[in-house]
Amino acid sequence: MHISEGFLTLPSLAVGWAAAAAGVSVGLKRIDPDGIVKVAMASSVFFLASLINVRIPPASTHLSLIGPIGLLLGWSVFPAIFTALLLQAVLFQFGGLAVLGVNTSTMAASALCAHLLFGRAVRGRSAALSAAASFAAGAMAVVMGAALVGIWLAASDPKMLASAYAIFIAHIPLAVIEGIAALFMTSFLRRSYPDILNAAGLR
Amino acid sequence: MIRRSVISLIAALILGYSAAAHPGAAFGHGSGYRQSKIDAVALEFYYSTGEAMAYQETKVYSPGGEGIAYQSGRTDEFGRYSFVPATEGEWRVEVKDDEGHRAEALIPITAEFMEGASDGTAVPVQSSLPQGADLFVRALLGVSLIFNAAAFVRLKRSGAKGEEAAGCTSAKGF
Repeated sequence: MHISEGFLTLPSLAVGWAAAAAGVSVGLKRIDPDGIVKVAMASSVFFLASLINVRIPPASTHLSLIGPIGLLLGWSVFPAIFTALLLQAVLFQFGGLAVLGVNTSTMAASALCAHLLFGRAVRGRSAALSAAASFAAGAMAVVMGAALVGIWLAASDPKMLASAYAIFIAHIPLAVIEGIAALFMTSFLRRSYPDILNAAGLR
Repeated sequence: MIRRSVISLIAALILGYSAAAHPGAAFGHGSGYRQSKIDAVALEFYYSTGEAMAYQETKVYSPGGEGIAYQSGRTDEFGRYSFVPATEGEWRVEVKDDEGHRAEALIPITAEFMEGASDGTAVPVQSSLPQGADLFVRALLGVSLIFNAAAFVRLKRSGAKGEEAAGCTSAKGF
C-alpha cells in the first residue's frame, strides 16, 4: 500500500503533506501523557507488520494492520502511522520521504474511518457484534486504503485509472486476511485487556 | 517494335549495373548479427516480498542523458532486464509497476567493462530489504526510536503540565 517516489505530481504530494500535517496536528493534541505508550505500541506494531509477508497466489504482499490500529487509536493514528512510515522509509526504503505525506494520509485516514464507523460496536457489550465489527473494520480499512492509492495514482496520471481498479481488486484477499487478524486481535484484547480498547488516554 | 526492344535493353542494363555495384541495396537493407564485444548488464528486479517484478515497464537512462530514455522495454517473467551500455559512467535503470512500486538501479560502468576486461562485477548488489541480522537490528532500532519519540512527547507534556500547575500555585500565593 506504499506509493513509491516518482509516481505522483507535485500538487498531489503537496495535498498529501497538507492532509497529513493536519491529521498529525489533531492527533498529537488528542494524546494525553497516559495514552502515549499505547500510541507507541500501536505504531511499533504497524512498523513491524510490514515485514510479515502474506502469500496470496499468484502474488504476495505484506500486512498493514491499519484497521486494528485505527480501532485502538482514533485520531492519534495519524502521528503513529507518520512515525512508523518515516522509519520504514529510512530503514527499509519502503515508500519514500517525498511521498510520506500521501502515504500517511492514505493509511491514517482509512484507519480513522474504521475507528469512526466501527469503534463503538467493537467496544460494545455484544461479543458477536464486536467480532463482526472488528472484521468489517480490518477489511474496510484495507479496501479504503487501496481505493485511495488508486485515486492518488489516477489523479497524478489519468492513464493509471485502469491500474486503480486492478489495485482495488488485488487488495480484496488481503482485506479478508486483515479482517480476520483484526477479529482475533480485538477478541484477545476484550478478554485480556479490555481497557485498551477504550480510548483511555486519548481524547 | 525496335524502339520497345531498345528501351527494354537499356532498362535491363541499368538494373544489372545497380545489382553489380550495390548488391545489398538491390534487395533492400541486408541484415546480420554477431555477438556483442561488450558484455550486457543483466539485472533482476524483485519486491521486498521476494516476488519478481515480472513484465513491468523498464527504462534505461545513460550517464547525463536524463529526461530521454536510452532504452525502454519490459522485464521478463522472472523480473529480469538487460542492456548493453554504450559509454562508461553511471547508468540508471528504473522499473515501475502499476501499483505505485518503483525500483531503481544505479550501475557504474567502468572503462575496463567497456573494453571487455572486467570480470563482470559491474552490478552492485542492492537488496530490496535488509536480510538476517541487519534486518533484525534495523527493526529493533525502529521500535526503539518510536518509544524514544513517545518518551520525549510524554516528558514534554508532563513538563508543560507541571509548569501550568506551578503557575497556578504561584498565582494563588499572590
